Amino acid sequence: MIKLLKNRDFILFAIIIFGVILIGFANPFFVKPSSLSDVLTDTSILIILALSQMVVILIRAIDLSVASNLALSGMLISLLSTVYPELPVIFFILLSCLIGTFLGILNGVSIAILKVPFIVTTLGTLSIYRGLIYFVSDGKQVYSHEFSESFLALIHYKFLSLSFLFWVAIAVFIIMYLLLNHTKFGRNLYALGGNPEAAKYIGINENKYIILAYSISGFFAGLCGYLWVARYSVASTQIAIGFELTVISACVVGGISVMGGVGTVVGCTLGALLIGLIRNALPAVDISQFWQLAISGAIILIAIIINTKTEQRKDKTIMVE
Amino acid sequence: MKLELKKISKFFPGIKALQNVNFQLKENSIHALLGENGAGKSTLVKILCGVYQPDEGSIYIEKKQKNISNPATSLELGISAIHQESVMFDELSVMENIFIGNHIIKSNKLVDWSAMEKKTKELLGNLEADIKPDEKIKDLSIAQRHIVQISRSLVHDADIVIMDEPTASLSQKEIDELYSIIRNLKKNNKSIIFISHKLDEVLEVCDEFTVLRDGELIKTDLIANTNKDQLVTYMVGREINQIFPKKLVHIEDEIFNIKNFYKKTQFKNINFSLRKKEILGFYGLVGSGRSEVMKTIFGINKFDEGEINFNNKKITINKPKDAIKNGIVYLSEERQNLGMAGLMSVKDNINMAIMDKNSDYLILDKLKDLQNASELQEKLNIKVSYWSQLAQSLSGGNQQKTVIAKWLSTKPKILILDEPTKGIDVKSKSAVHEFMGELVDTGMSIIMISSELPEILGMCDRVVVMYKGLIKDILEVPNTSSEEIVKLASGE
Repeated sequence: MIKLLKNRDFILFAIIIFGVILIGFANPFFVKPSSLSDVLTDTSILIILALSQMVVILIRAIDLSVASNLALSGMLISLLSTVYPELPVIFFILLSCLIGTFLGILNGVSIAILKVPFIVTTLGTLSIYRGLIYFVSDGKQVYSHEFSESFLALIHYKFLSLSFLFWVAIAVFIIMYLLLNHTKFGRNLYALGGNPEAAKYIGINENKYIILAYSISGFFAGLCGYLWVARYSVASTQIAIGFELTVISACVVGGISVMGGVGTVVGCTLGALLIGLIRNALPAVDISQFWQLAISGAIILIAIIINTKTEQRKDKTIMVE
Repeated sequence: MKLELKKISKFFPGIKALQNVNFQLKENSIHALLGENGAGKSTLVKILCGVYQPDEGSIYIEKKQKNISNPATSLELGISAIHQESVMFDELSVMENIFIGNHIIKSNKLVDWSAMEKKTKELLGNLEADIKPDEKIKDLSIAQRHIVQISRSLVHDADIVIMDEPTASLSQKEIDELYSIIRNLKKNNKSIIFISHKLDEVLEVCDEFTVLRDGELIKTDLIANTNKDQLVTYMVGREINQIFPKKLVHIEDEIFNIKNFYKKTQFKNINFSLRKKEILGFYGLVGSGRSEVMKTIFGINKFDEGEINFNNKKITINKPKDAIKNGIVYLSEERQNLGMAGLMSVKDNINMAIMDKNSDYLILDKLKDLQNASELQEKLNIKVSYWSQLAQSLSGGNQQKTVIAKWLSTKPKILILDEPTKGIDVKSKSAVHEFMGELVDTGMSIIMISSELPEILGMCDRVVVMYKGLIKDILEVPNTSSEEIVKLASGE
C-alpha cells in the first residue's frame, strides 16, 4: 500500500478520478458517459503527441516544433486532397506521417550532426515550418466543403461508442508502451537519457538515437496533422498554434523528467489526460477564460516542484563510518 | 599473452598523457596498474575502453592487432571495465544495468524480461550477493554497485576485466568479499587489470604490476619480485625537474583554524590551523574529502558540526558571500565550470566578484573596472591581446591566472587553491608557483590542495594528509618524505 502511494503514476490516476468526481458534483452533466467520451476524444491528439514528445524528453532534449510540424503536414495533405479528392484516405494519412517524419529528421540531423543545440534548432524549425504553411497555402484556409467525403468520414467512425481518434490514441499508447519498455531501442533511450557518459561506454551511438527520437516525434506530429485537420474539418495557418506547450506540460505533469531518463508511458498518458480533463472541465464548471490559463499554469508548476523534489539525488559518500 | 600494448602514446594540448608505454597482460593473471594521480592510468584505461584513441602505438589482443575505435568495439573484443566514477544508470534496475547494451531478445524482437531476471538471479547468486534484480541502482551501496558491474562484465563474457580502484569506498568485509570474487574470476580464465592506490592489497591480490609515472612506463615485473617500499619508490621517485621557486618568508602567528569539523558521509574530526604567510598543503587521493572540506569552509556546502575561527573570533559562513566578506576565497579545481565564465571577456571575469564595489548607485564604473583589471593583468602577467578577448580563448595557464586575478580583486586574506596547476604546462606552472610566493610575502595565507607530491614538497610549509574524510596527520614539510606522505594517504 505504501509502495502504491509512493508511485507517481498511481497518485496521478487518483487525482484524475478525484477530479472527475469533484467536477461531477459541480456539474452532473459532465460525468455522463457521452461527455466523458468527448473528453477522451478531445484529449486523444494530446496523448499521441505527449507520448512522442516523451521519447525526445527522455534523451534530455525537447521538440518545440511539433505543433508547427503538425500544422504543415496537415496543410500539405489538405491542399493535395483538394486537387486529388479521389485518392484514398490512407494515402493522405501515410503521406502526412511521411512529411512529419521528414521534418523530424531535419531536426535530428541539425542537432546530432550539425550540433545546433536542440532548443535553438526546434525553436527555429517551429517558425520555419509555421512560415512554410503561409508559403504553400498563400495564407488561405481549406474549408470543410473543399475536403472529399472520405477524407473526413474516417474520423467520425465510432467503435464501442468510443471515437476513432481515441482508438488511435490507444493504439499509439500500446505501440509506445512496447517500444519503450520491451525493445532494445527503448531501453537504450532510457540509458542514454539517464547517463549519456555511461551510455557511451556501452556503445550506444548517441547521434543515431537523437535522429531516431526526433523522427518518431515527427512521425506522430505528421499523423496528428491528418487527425487534427480531419477532426476540425479545416486547415488554416493558425491550427495548433502554441500546442507544443500543452504537449510539453502534459509530459511534465506526467512525470517525464526534463533531466532525462525518467518517466513512464502510463504516467505520460495520465499527464495528458489530466491536462485534457482540466481544459474540458473548467469551462463546464463556469470558470472564466483567465482563470483557466492560471489554473493550468499552476498545475504545471506544482508538477515540476514535485518532480524536482523527488529527483534530488543523494550525496556521494566518501567516508566509511 | 592476452593483451599487449606496444609503444602507446597519447597527447592532449600541452600534456603528454602517455608516452611510449608498453604493457603486457598475461592470461589468468591479475595485473596491478600503479601510479600517482595523473600518471596516465586513466588515459590507458580509456584507450582500452575505446573512449580515447592512441596517437601512436598499437594494441594486440591474443597476438592479433586490433583497433579499438569506439566503446562498442572494446566490448566486442571482450574488454569490460569497472569504473571508479559511476558509469551506471541510477534510474534503471539492477538487471537492466547488467544487461544494458546486451539485452536478451525474444524471437519477436521484444526484450525478454523474464529470461534476464532469471539470469540476473543466477549471476548474483553465484557472486553470493544479496541484491534483488528489480532494485534501482540509486538505492544500492557502492559495494553492491561494484558487484552489479562485475556481473555486467560476466554477461558480456569479457576476458579482460579492468577494475579502477574497486575497493576505494568499501568496508573491510566488502573488500574481502570482492577479493574472493576477483580470485574466482581469475580461476575462470579471466585476465584482470587492477588499479589501486592501496599497496598492501596490490601485494595481496595481484600477480604482476606495472608502474606509470608522468605518462611513462617506469617498471613492470612480478609482484613476487618486489615489496611495498620499492613500489612507492617507483611511483614517486621522480627527479624534481620542475623548479619550485619557494620564497623564504617569515611565518607569523596563527590567524585561522577549524575545529571539529564534521559533515555526514563526507568528513569528520577535521582540525587544523593556518598561520599568516603560510602555505598549507592538502594531500590525499581523489575522493579523500579534501575539496569537500574546502568547499564547506567557503560556504558552498553546509557543515553539520564544528566551528571556524578567524583572528581568534568565531565566524559564521553560510554562503560563499560570507566567506568572501571575511577574506576567504576558494579557487575551484574545475575552473572551466565553476571558476570562469568562458564566454565573458577577460576583463569582466577579473571584475566578476567585485562588481558591487566598482559600482556607484548600481551603475558600473567602467574606469574602475579597467584599472583593476589592468593592474592585476600586469601583476600576474596574463597574456591577453585585447580587453574584450573571451576568457575561453586563453591558454590553460592564463585561464588559471584570470581566475586567480578575479579572486585577488576581492583582496582576500586566505586563498584556497584547489589543484591550481592541474593540466597546465610546466612554464605556466612555475609562474603560478612564483606568484604564490609573492602573495604570501604580501601577508596572505594560502591553502593548496594538490595531488602532485613535488608541488606539495616544493611549495608548502606544512602538509595535511587526508584519507577517507579523515586527517591522517599534519607534517612539517622539510621533515617528511614523499614515501611517508603516500603511505599516509593510502590509509596506513
